Amino acid sequence: MAKPPSSLKPLSPQEWETLMEDYQYGGTRRRRWTSANYTALPLLQLSLSSLLRKDFPLNLKLRLLVFLEEEYLLAFEESGLEIEQTLTLILDALRPLIQAPIDGVSITYSLKDQFMLSTTSIFITATSDAVPILPQLESLIELLLTVINRPNHGLDRQTRGVACECLRELERAFPCLLSEIAGHLWGLCQSERTHAAQSYVLLLAGVVHSIAMGKANVSILNTSLPLVPFNFPQFLLGENGWGKEISSSSYKELRRVMSFLLEWPQYLTPCGLIEFMSMIIPVAVALELQASLLTVQLSGLIYSFDPVLCHALLVLCSQFPDAFDGQEGEVANRLVLMSREVQHYLVFRLLALHWLLGFIGLLKDGEGRKKKAIIGMRLSFYPTVFDSLSLKSLKLDLLAYCSILVDASMSPGGHAVLGSDVIGSGVSVVKLLEDGLVSVSGFKWLPPWSTETAVAFRTFHKFLIGASSHSDTNRILMESTIFHTSERMLVDMVLEFQGLVPVMVSFFDRLFSCYKHRWLGERLLQTLDVHLLPKVKIDNRLGSYFPVFDRIAENITVPPIKLLELLTSFMFMLVEKHGPDTGLKCWSLGSRVLGICRTMLMHHHSSRLFLGLSRLLAFTCLYFPDLEVRDDSRIYLRMLICVPGNKLKHILNIGEQLPGISPSPQSSSFFSQSFSVSHESKKSRNISSYIHLERVASLLVKQSWSLSLSSVSTGGNEPSYLEGINDNEPPYEQREFDGNADVRTLPEMEITGQRQEPLRVMDSKISEIVGILRRHFSSIPDYRQKPELKIRISCSLRFQSEPFNRIWGFDLPANTLDEEDILPAIYATVLTFSSSAPYGAIPSCHIPFLLGEPPKSDYSLGQSDSFDIVSLENGTAEEYDFKAPVMVELEPREPIPGLVDVYIETNAENGQVIRGQLQSISVGIEDMFLQAITPEDVPPDAVPGYYLDLFSALWEACGTSSSTGRETFLLKGGKGTAAIRGTRSVKLVEVPATSLIQAVERHLAAFVVSVTGEPLVNIVKDGGIIRDIIWKDVASDSAIDVTISDPNSERGPLYLKYHDDEDERGSQVHFNKKEMGCFLILIFLPPRFHLLFQMEVCDVSTLVRIRTDHWPCLAYIDDYLEALFCV
Amino acid sequence: MPRVSGCSIRALWILNSQDAVVFSRRFPVVERRWRASCKSDVESGTVPLLPTDSELAAAFVDRKKREGSARGFGIRVPQSVEGSDSWVDDPITRHIISLHINKEEESANHLFWPFILHMKGHYCILVLPLVEPHHLRTYSRMCKRSDCGNAIGQDEGLSSLLLALPSITGAFMVAHVLGDIIMGDAQEPEVVVITSPSVGGLLDSLTGSIGISARAKPVAATVAASTTSNTTVSGSVLSDAPRIGSRTLDKDSLRTFISSAMPFGTPLDLSYSNFSAIKSNGFSSTDLPLSDRKQPAWKPYLYKGKQRVLFTIHETVHAAMYDRDEIPDSISISGQVNCRAELEGMPDVFFPLTGLDTTRVEVISFHPCAQVPEQGGEKQAITFSPPLGNFVLMRYQAFCGIGPPIKGFYQLSMVSENEGAFLFKLSLMEGYKAPLTMETCTVTMPFPRRRVISFDGTPSVGTVSNTEHAVEWKIITSSRVVSGKSIETTFPGTVRFAPWQTQRPNSSGYGIRGITDEDSDTELESTNNVVNVEEFLMEKMSKDLQSVDLEEPFCWQAYNYAKVSFKMVGAALSRMSIDPKSISIFPAVKAPVEFSTQVLSGDYILWNTLGKCPVAVTPKI
Repeated sequence: MAKPPSSLKPLSPQEWETLMEDYQYGGTRRRRWTSANYTALPLLQLSLSSLLRKDFPLNLKLRLLVFLEEEYLLAFEESGLEIEQTLTLILDALRPLIQAPIDGVSITYSLKDQFMLSTTSIFITATSDAVPILPQLESLIELLLTVINRPNHGLDRQTRGVACECLRELERAFPCLLSEIAGHLWGLCQSERTHAAQSYVLLLAGVVHSIAMGKANVSILNTSLPLVPFNFPQFLLGENGWGKEISSSSYKELRRVMSFLLEWPQYLTPCGLIEFMSMIIPVAVALELQASLLTVQLSGLIYSFDPVLCHALLVLCSQFPDAFDGQEGEVANRLVLMSREVQHYLVFRLLALHWLLGFIGLLKDGEGRKKKAIIGMRLSFYPTVFDSLSLKSLKLDLLAYCSILVDASMSPGGHAVLGSDVIGSGVSVVKLLEDGLVSVSGFKWLPPWSTETAVAFRTFHKFLIGASSHSDTNRILMESTIFHTSERMLVDMVLEFQGLVPVMVSFFDRLFSCYKHRWLGERLLQTLDVHLLPKVKIDNRLGSYFPVFDRIAENITVPPIKLLELLTSFMFMLVEKHGPDTGLKCWSLGSRVLGICRTMLMHHHSSRLFLGLSRLLAFTCLYFPDLEVRDDSRIYLRMLICVPGNKLKHILNIGEQLPGISPSPQSSSFFSQSFSVSHESKKSRNISSYIHLERVASLLVKQSWSLSLSSVSTGGNEPSYLEGINDNEPPYEQREFDGNADVRTLPEMEITGQRQEPLRVMDSKISEIVGILRRHFSSIPDYRQKPELKIRISCSLRFQSEPFNRIWGFDLPANTLDEEDILPAIYATVLTFSSSAPYGAIPSCHIPFLLGEPPKSDYSLGQSDSFDIVSLENGTAEEYDFKAPVMVELEPREPIPGLVDVYIETNAENGQVIRGQLQSISVGIEDMFLQAITPEDVPPDAVPGYYLDLFSALWEACGTSSSTGRETFLLKGGKGTAAIRGTRSVKLVEVPATSLIQAVERHLAAFVVSVTGEPLVNIVKDGGIIRDIIWKDVASDSAIDVTISDPNSERGPLYLKYHDDEDERGSQVHFNKKEMGCFLILIFLPPRFHLLFQMEVCDVSTLVRIRTDHWPCLAYIDDYLEALFCV
Repeated sequence: MPRVSGCSIRALWILNSQDAVVFSRRFPVVERRWRASCKSDVESGTVPLLPTDSELAAAFVDRKKREGSARGFGIRVPQSVEGSDSWVDDPITRHIISLHINKEEESANHLFWPFILHMKGHYCILVLPLVEPHHLRTYSRMCKRSDCGNAIGQDEGLSSLLLALPSITGAFMVAHVLGDIIMGDAQEPEVVVITSPSVGGLLDSLTGSIGISARAKPVAATVAASTTSNTTVSGSVLSDAPRIGSRTLDKDSLRTFISSAMPFGTPLDLSYSNFSAIKSNGFSSTDLPLSDRKQPAWKPYLYKGKQRVLFTIHETVHAAMYDRDEIPDSISISGQVNCRAELEGMPDVFFPLTGLDTTRVEVISFHPCAQVPEQGGEKQAITFSPPLGNFVLMRYQAFCGIGPPIKGFYQLSMVSENEGAFLFKLSLMEGYKAPLTMETCTVTMPFPRRRVISFDGTPSVGTVSNTEHAVEWKIITSSRVVSGKSIETTFPGTVRFAPWQTQRPNSSGYGIRGITDEDSDTELESTNNVVNVEEFLMEKMSKDLQSVDLEEPFCWQAYNYAKVSFKMVGAALSRMSIDPKSISIFPAVKAPVEFSTQVLSGDYILWNTLGKCPVAVTPKI
C-alpha cells in the first residue's frame, strides 16, 4: 500500500470546508487543489484519517463522508486508482466504527448511518456493471447483514433501516446478489414491527424483483444457507443460474411472497409506496398476477391528496388498463377535482391537468364512449376567476380538446363512434371557445404584452389547428365551424381593438413559420383582406393596422388590389388633411406606407402591382407634403418601372430573408462591403471585352479614318490636323474656333489676310442669293451661345453574363425557376464620354438597370429543353431586356469624323463598383448630316421651295467664282458671323441607276431637295420614299438647272481629265450614257456648313457634283460616296 | 414491457438570489443508473457528466436571459427562441425547466432535462430527477420542433411524458419540502382548541408539552393585494419560528435531512417532523414496538399519555362580488379538517361524513392514512389510523352554505384625473346566527399604481387609515367582536392621488413590445376623442400596465377593487360540522373529541361596480 506523500499536510476544518466547496464549484477553484495533489488516494487517506479524529466536529465528518461519496468518481477513479485498494481502505475504516458503541459525541448513529451510506455508494460507483467478484464487497454485505439481523431492536432501528437501504441499493446495482438469502430477509420482514419495517419490506421487494426479472432459479423459502458469512451466489458467476423461465416451484414461492408484500402498502410512506410499486408492478406482470390483487390494495390512492400517490395510481392504471375498465370516468373526474383543489401547490394542479390529458391519450381509439364522457365533463373544465393564468390556459386546452372531440363527432365518420346523442345535446364548439375566452377577456383591452393576451392567442391557436397534428398528412376541414368562428372573431376584434394588431401579426407569423399550417395563416390574411379592409376607417389611426397590412402585402396569395386602393385613399387623406402641425406625422405615416409598398414590390410580381402601385407612387411623389416621402416614392416608382422582377426584389431585400427568394450572396455582402473599397482595377481592365456599347446603325465608312484620327489624337488634345494639312489656306473658321477672341474683329483680320478676290458688282441675282443666305444663316444658332445643334448617335449597351460572372466572381444560384435569376445585372450605370475630336461636351448617359445577356449556348439550350416555360414572349424579351438604348449627343464644332471614348461606372448586385473604359464609338461623316434649318416664318408647305432656293443660293455661293465670297452673314443671335468659302468637286460613280437610287433613298432621302428629269422623277416618285420636294421635268427646267448648277462646269479640268483617264473602259459607258435626271441634295453640316450634291443620274453611271463651304469634309465625302454606292 | 420508474434524483442545487449555488447534492448511485441506461440506449451519444456548481449557475443565468425571467415565459411568445422551454408552449415549463450546460472541458452544449424549479423566498431550488434517455430525447424534440406548436392530445406531447414520469412529481415533493426547510416553514397544520388556543406538533406530543408551550395565537392573514392563492390554507398562519431575512441557510441540517429522507437519492420519507423528531429524540429502550401490530413507516413513535382527539375545520372563502345583474357573484370555499389524535397504540378512528352536504361540497381528498371506501369519497364514512402530531385529515371545496359573510357594493368613480369618489355599502353577516362570530373585518382599497395623498369621508362603522398605496377600513377589530347579529354600514368618501406619472414598464413582458411603441402618433389622436375622464384615465393607465406572471389569475393592477379580509369562528360557512358523538375509535377507548372552526378570507374581492372587472363563465349544469 502506497504511503501518503509526506507533502500532503493535514487540513483544518476550515480548510476542509474550502476544499469541499471548491471541488463542487469546479473549474479553476477545483484545479487549485488537484494540482496541489489533494486528489486521488492521498486525499482519500487524508479524509479517512480525519474522520477518525476525535477533535473534528460531527457535522464536518458527515459532510466529509458525503463529499467522498459525491466526488469519488471524479476525484479518485479518474486517477487510475486501484479499486480494491481504496475499497479496502474504506471498509477498514467502516468496520470498527460500526462495531464501536455509541458514545453520543464522536460515535453517533448519524455518523454510522452516513458512513454506511457513503461506503455503499462508493462501492457501487466504483464497480462496473458486471457483478464484481470482490472480497471487499462480500465483506461489506456481511457487515450490513449483521446490522440488520437484529429485528425489533429498539435503539438502532433507524440504523437498521439505513443498512437495509444500503443492501437494497447493492441489490439494485447487482441484481440477484442477495437472492440466495431471500428466505432470511423474508423472515426478518415478518418479525420486524418498528417503523423501520418499510426498509426491510423494500429490501425484500427489491430481491424478489430481481429474482423475477432475472428468472433466477433460487428458492426463496430456503433458509439453509446461513445469513452470515455471506458468499456470492454461485450462479451469478456462471451462466446456468439464470433460468429461461420461472420454474413452477419458484413461481409458487414468488406468489406467496407477493401476497405477503401486498399486505404492506398501508404501512408505507408515500415515497416508500412509489418505490414499492415500481418494484412490485413488474413482478406482478411477470408472474401474470391478477391485476385485481393490486387494485384492491391501491385503488384508494386516488382519493388521497398526496400528488405522489395519485400519480402512483395513474401508473398502475396505465400498466393495467383492463383492471380499471369502467373506472376511467372516476379517475378522470378525480384528476379534474385535484386541479380545482386550491390547497395544492399550483404546480400539482397543473400536473393534474396534464395527467388528465395524458390519461385520455391512453384510452384506446376504439373506445369512443370513453372519450364521449370527456365531452360530458366539459363544464368542469371552465376556468374560474381566481384560477391562475397558467391554470386557465391548461383548462382552455382541455376545452379545445373537447371541441376536437365534438368536431370529430360532427364529421360524417364520427357519427358511428359517438352516436347522435352528443350532437343532440347541443354542444357547440363555438360556445366552448367563447365561454372559455371570457376568463381572459381582459386581453382585448389590456396592452398587447399582457399575459392574458398571450394566453388568449395561445388558445386561439389550439382551437384553430384543432386535431391537425404535424405528423399526419390529412388536412383540417377548412370549412369547420371553429375556423369560421375564429375568422369572424379575429376580424371583429381587430376592428374594435387596434392594440391587438401586433399580437395578431405575431400570431400569423407563427402560423406562417409552420410548414403545415401556413395555409391557415394565408387563409386568415385573405379573410382580413376581404372583410377588414373595407371596414377600417381611413383616419390617422389607420397607422396601427400597418403591421397587418405589411403581412398582407408580403403574402402572395392575397391580391394586393384592395390594399393598394386603401393606401391610396389614405394618402389622399393625408394630403388633404395636411396642416402646419402635421409634418412629423405625415412623414412617419407616409414612410410607413412606402414601407408597405416596398414590401409589395419585394413579394409580388410587378405586373400584378403595376397599375395600382404606380398610381399610388405617382400621386405621392407629386403631391405628398413631405419631401423625403416624395423622394422615396419617386425612387420606388423608378424602380418599379425600370427594374424587372426578381432583380428588384434583390435590391429591396436589405437584410431580410425572403421565403421566395434564395438567400443570395449579394444581399449579405451588400453590408460587409462598403461602396468605396470595392473598386478593383484589376478586374476592370478587360471590361470592354464583355461590356459593349455599339452603334445601332453601323457606319458606311468603317475603318480607315477612325484609325488615322486616333493616331492624331494621341499627339495632343488639340485637333491640329487642319493646320498640318492645309496651312496654305488656313480657314478662318478654324482660327475662330481655336481662339476665343472677339468674334467680330477676328473675321475682319482673317479676311484681310486671305487671298484677294476681285470685287464684284452685286447684281439683282446675287443680291437675291445673298438675301436667301442671310436669311438662312440668321437661323443657324451660334454654338458658342446656344448649343442647339446636336448630333444624336443611337447606341445600345449590353454585356455578356458569362464572362461577367466569371470575372466578378458571382455565384448565382443555378436552379432558380426564373431565368432572370441566374443572370447578373448592373445597376445605376453611368456612361461618360470624351473625345479628342471637336465635339464639345458630351453629356453622360444613365442606365438604371441592365440584365446580362444569357450565355448563347445556355440560352438556346434552355429554350429547347423547356419551351413550355420559355414562351414566345421570352424571345422578344431577349431583345428588349438585354440591351439598353443609349443616345450619344454631340455638339460638333466642326463636321469631321472622330472617335468618342466611353467610360463606364456601374454597380454590380453586391454593391461592387465596376469602372472602366469601353471600346470607343466611331463617329462618321454621315453622322454629321443634318437637314438645313428652316426659318420659323416659312410655312410648312413652302418648305420644299425654300430648300430649293437655298440649295440654288448655296450652290452659287460655293462656286469658286462666287460673288458672295466676301459677304459675311450674321448668325442667329446677331453676334457671330460667317462667310462662305466654297469648294467644288466631282465624282463619277459607276453604278447602275437603280442601285444608286436605292442608295439615295436609303441614306440621303431626307436631304433631297429636288429631283429633276422625267425618268428619274418617275422612278423616285414611284418609290414613295422621297416626298415633299420639288419635282421638275427635264424638258422645262434643264436649262435653268444647268445655269444654276454651274456655269463653270464644262471647263472643269478635273472633269475632262477624269473622263480621259477612263477612256478605254468608259467610252462605251459614255456612249450609252443616258441622262435620266438629277438629284439635288442639300446637307447641313453643323455647326454652320453645307454640303451640296448634284447627282446627274445616268443609267449606268452617275456624276456627282459636290460643292461645300467646308473643304476638309471633301476628304471624307469621297470615301463616303464610294461606300454609299459601291456596297 | 415499459419500465415502471420510481422516483430517484440525480442531483439537486439551491441557488440564492444572486444566482450563485449555495448548496448542492449529487447522488452518484442514481447517476450510475442514468449512465447505464444511456449506455444501453442506442441513440444516446456521449453522456455528459453532471454539471459542477459553476456550470449550473452559468446555465441558469443563461436561461434567465433567454427566457426573460428565472421561470421563463412559459408559453410561446414572440421572444421565444427555438430550443428553449417556452417554445414548448406550456405553462408547466415555468416549473419544469431545461438547462443547456456548457461543460468547461468540451465545447459541446448539453441539454439537461427535467429540472424541477421551485422558488421559495430568495432561493431557487433545482432538482434533477432520473428519467430514461428516451424521455430526454422526446423533450429535446419538443423544444426544437420547427412548426407552430403541438395540437392538444397529440401522441408526443408533454402530457403523456409527465404522466409517464412519477419521478417528476416526486422531485416536486422533494423541492417543496426543501423549500419549507430552508425557509423554516416546515410545520404541521394548525389545530385549535377552545381551551388552549393552538396545539403544537409532533415534537410537543413527544415531550408532552401541550398546553404548556404558549404558542402565539394565529393571526389573520395580512392583506396582500396580489399574492397567489397557492399557499395552503394553513400556510397563511404565521409561525413564531425565525423568518426570512434573518435566516441563513442551515446546510448541515439540510444535508442530514437529505441523507435521511432520500439516501442514495431515492426519497423514502419526506416528513420533516418525523425527521426532526428522530433526530432530536432518537429511540430509547422504552420505545417498544407493539406486539400485535406493525408500526407504519409514517409513525415512528407511539403516543403515550392522556388521550383525546381534536379537530379543527379551517375554511377559506374566495369571493368575487360584482353587484351587477349580468354577472353573478361567485363564492367558493376551500376547507380542510385538521386533526390531532392523541391516542395510545395504533387505533382506527371511524369518521362519518354525514355532516357534509354533497350538493355543496364537491371535492374531497384525504390523508393517505385514511381508508376510503371504493364507492367514492362523498358517501358514508372513512376510517383512519392517525399518525402522530397534527395532520390534515381531509380537504374539500364547497359552495357557501349560508349567505356571503359580507355583501354589498363598492363604487369608485374618478371625478378628475387625480381624485376619486367612492362609496361602500356593506352588510356583514346578514342572517348569521350565533355561534358564528366575526373577530376581525377589514376592507382595503389598494391603489398599487397611484400614490394616495389624502382621503376624506367617515364610515358609519369602524375606522379608516391610509398608507401610501392603500386605504384601509377596519370595520371590526378583535377588541369588538361581533357575534350573532348583522351589521349594515356605509362609507362614502373621496380619495386624492398624486398626479399620474407614466412609468414605462421595464421588465420583460409576455407579448409584443417595441412594435407598438412607435405608435405615439396614434395615441395622440385617440386621446382627443375620449371625453370621459374615466375612460381617458383608463386608457392612459393601461398603456403602461406590466404583464403579470402566469401564476397570477389576471392583471390585478388593471382593475379597481376592494379586498375584504376577515376572520370568523364558531361555525363553518359550508355548514361542515363534526358531531363528536358520531366519532368512534377501535379498539374503544375513552377519549374526548373536541372540534373548533375557523373561517378566513382568501381572495374576497368587491369589484368596483362602475369599472371593469375580470369574469369567468360559470358553467350551468
